[in-house]
Amino acid sequence: MLTRRGLIAGLAAGAALLPATRLGAAPLARVQELGVLRIGVYRDNRPWSWSENGGAPQGIDVDLARALAATLGVRAEVVEFLAGEDLGDDLRNVVWRGGLLGFQPCDVMMHVPFDRRLQIDNDQVVLLAPYYRENFAAVCGAEQSDCDVPPPQFKGKRLAAELDSIPDMYLLGGFGGVLRSDVRHYPTGDAAVRAVRSGEADVAVATRAQVEHVTAEPNSQGLKRRRAPLQAIMSPGWDIGLAVKENSRSLGDALDRTIEAMAADGRMTALFARHGVEWKPAVAAQPAGE
Amino acid sequence: MKGTMKRSLVGLALLGTAMSTAALAEGPTSADLMNDAETTGDVLTYGLGPQAQRFSPLDKVNTGNVARLVPAFASSLGGEKQRGQESQPIVYDGTIYVTGSYSRLYAFDARTGEKKWQYDARLPDGIMPCCDVVNRGAAIHGDKIIFATLDAHIVALNRNTGKVIWNKTMADYRAGYSATAAPLIVKNMVITGNSGGEFGVVGAVTARDVDTGEVIWERPTVEGHMGTLRGKPNGISGKTNASWTGDLWKTGGAATWLGGTYDPGTNLVYFGTGNPAPWNSHLRPGDNLYSSSTVAIDADTGVIKWSYQTTPHDGWDFDGVNEFIPFDATIGGKPMKLGAKADRNGYFFVLDRTNGKFISANRFVAETTWANGFNPKTGRPNYVADNRPGAPSGTEKGKVVFSAPSFLGGKNWMPMAYSKDTGLFYIPSNDWGMDIWNEPIAYKKGAAYLGAGFTIKPTHEDHIGALRAMDPATGKIVWEYKNKAPLWGGVLTTRGNLVFTGTPEGYLKAFDAKTGQELWKFQTGSGVVGSPVTWEQDGEQYVAVMSGWGGAVPLWGGEVAKTFKEISQGGSLWVFKLPK
Repeated sequence: MLTRRGLIAGLAAGAALLPATRLGAAPLARVQELGVLRIGVYRDNRPWSWSENGGAPQGIDVDLARALAATLGVRAEVVEFLAGEDLGDDLRNVVWRGGLLGFQPCDVMMHVPFDRRLQIDNDQVVLLAPYYRENFAAVCGAEQSDCDVPPPQFKGKRLAAELDSIPDMYLLGGFGGVLRSDVRHYPTGDAAVRAVRSGEADVAVATRAQVEHVTAEPNSQGLKRRRAPLQAIMSPGWDIGLAVKENSRSLGDALDRTIEAMAADGRMTALFARHGVEWKPAVAAQPAGE
Repeated sequence: MKGTMKRSLVGLALLGTAMSTAALAEGPTSADLMNDAETTGDVLTYGLGPQAQRFSPLDKVNTGNVARLVPAFASSLGGEKQRGQESQPIVYDGTIYVTGSYSRLYAFDARTGEKKWQYDARLPDGIMPCCDVVNRGAAIHGDKIIFATLDAHIVALNRNTGKVIWNKTMADYRAGYSATAAPLIVKNMVITGNSGGEFGVVGAVTARDVDTGEVIWERPTVEGHMGTLRGKPNGISGKTNASWTGDLWKTGGAATWLGGTYDPGTNLVYFGTGNPAPWNSHLRPGDNLYSSSTVAIDADTGVIKWSYQTTPHDGWDFDGVNEFIPFDATIGGKPMKLGAKADRNGYFFVLDRTNGKFISANRFVAETTWANGFNPKTGRPNYVADNRPGAPSGTEKGKVVFSAPSFLGGKNWMPMAYSKDTGLFYIPSNDWGMDIWNEPIAYKKGAAYLGAGFTIKPTHEDHIGALRAMDPATGKIVWEYKNKAPLWGGVLTTRGNLVFTGTPEGYLKAFDAKTGQELWKFQTGSGVVGSPVTWEQDGEQYVAVMSGWGGAVPLWGGEVAKTFKEISQGGSLWVFKLPK
């Protein structure tokens, strides 16, 4: 039986094997000595991490980051960063090298897809502690009373998606392109869902967390979740976890144990629920065959 | 006695203040800038004249004596910051002004190389530049030296002191905007493009008052967007949504990141535009105007007079930002007002610069897989349909398409030169291709995404770079010089029948402009990716270039990286002259 820990070890083994001496590095001790854990979160990534008018960052990832620091007995220094063109850029800028203009590397980066290929392509970091299973979802407003119709029947409705995301490509390119001229573009999936709530759009395709977060807000009674699957959507879903530098495994192990404990004792469910999102365990964190 | 002494000292000091104030107000006028190509004692503009022909009428250094060229001095930019030095020096009144990586600007004494002052832009540490931390040069006007910074500001400094006169935000760096190009100054206006923000950006050209930095006009380069003139609406660019699908025009791309040129005769500024968004062409049917084009804008009104699209419906990330160089030539017995552009897509275009009419397009690289020439009647490419990257499917790795040139282009940012004497354009080009395919699952901003995978690879054993002399009348390559590593620096040509350019291997080289014979080279200690200039000072001709390896090439490895893996970083201004 493949355990969570076994699977994670397997993922790391996919990266280039590291000299044994470097595995002995002790950044956990270093973090505890300094009394601060520096954690990188995406800027403008609601409901995971965002800030309003220069205020402090907030969101699921921010709360989780603070909880991780608290269990290590250190202060959380949560820093927002701009997403690059792909994950490799982010891991380089945030975890293993730092920004060219002085952005200091973080001890840990939140919201990193937990994926074997990504690990192999980025062997300067270790991906670990998958804490959530994400996928794509759709939501409709009052004008689209049946949200479960086959997507081509959304033709003529105002369709909202984040610019240059899989939902965007799905609506622009899927079904022979019949929906192409109906797509309206928004800077984030969160904004796309809010456009449906405000009556500016009829249907939004976004991540499940984005849909649930907005739908759970008090003035969202008009929003209807699609229950039927999104036929032929280009992703079956993906796990989200953390990244630390490849020589920070002691820190990674400590964070991994914390995530596991939070998943087991209900803290994770409660933390997500505070943001209106139903917590789903990562597929990689579940015993095989379950 | 004591009191008298004091009084006379005060008098002297007052006199000094008055004199320095007068000196501060002086400096090059807009008329001087327009005449830069003819004045040999200075270099006032990016491109040695607003047309950016990069031709100097100096001939004291020539094919007969260039072999004896030696360094006069070298000045280090200092600090720990190195990376790519893509700048072109400006020379005026005994001072060399040059920008450095990380948005720095330096004033060096043109006779001794001693540093007069240095300005370091205070950049927010959260900027994550896509393509190195370069800057391509400054603009000079009156008492000001002006340059754009990585956090998308434009800053005017007092050229004698390096103190800030004005500093304006061009765009929000937090939205991914940046700026690296040298500003263009026309009729007391600083004219710039915009860059960065691969998605969601809308290209634009902006003219500001050189004295205050306030915007005079702005012209979006995507159909459907409203321009402004002195704060008032000034007409929509093109026709809303004529060549786009849905609302994609709102986020269309077409960034004008390389700056522009100007022709006083037509009073038009010429800007190239970048690729359209989203990247995959199957998601946005249509020509997607004015992406991957040259746009000609009236300098007084900020209205588009004509446009020509070099890669309609760009699916290869070719961009169309390359400089458009006005020149006059007789073609088919007819004297014509023309302009030329060597495009990322591998074709050298000649257009009528008064109206944008297509004259010719000829290949200047070894191979163009995406198109088989241009139709002379329509001015449109003959696409090779099989060689367009596929639509994203998400289920499996898409078809691998070999595409040449690679997305880094037959010619990237580095400016070519045109010799009035030989009638030839000297193009710093690269022969390379890429395998490109759709990645079934990639990730962006923590979410699943369908990206494109690519591997850049050389197409020839002996070279990637090739400096090529192109005859614009015939479309024929007259000579070529092959270089192992990709060429990434600008070109200069002179009345001395010389062509200068640098190589990543660290050399500044001089060639015979008629034959391409290599006549001289000097090792500068790091790769040369800057643009050389020349001027006359105290009766002698000087040549200057920046040395410092970097730019976009080192960011994409693969087989190409083998050609430059031993090259060290640097950051120096090198100045040469003949021994007395």
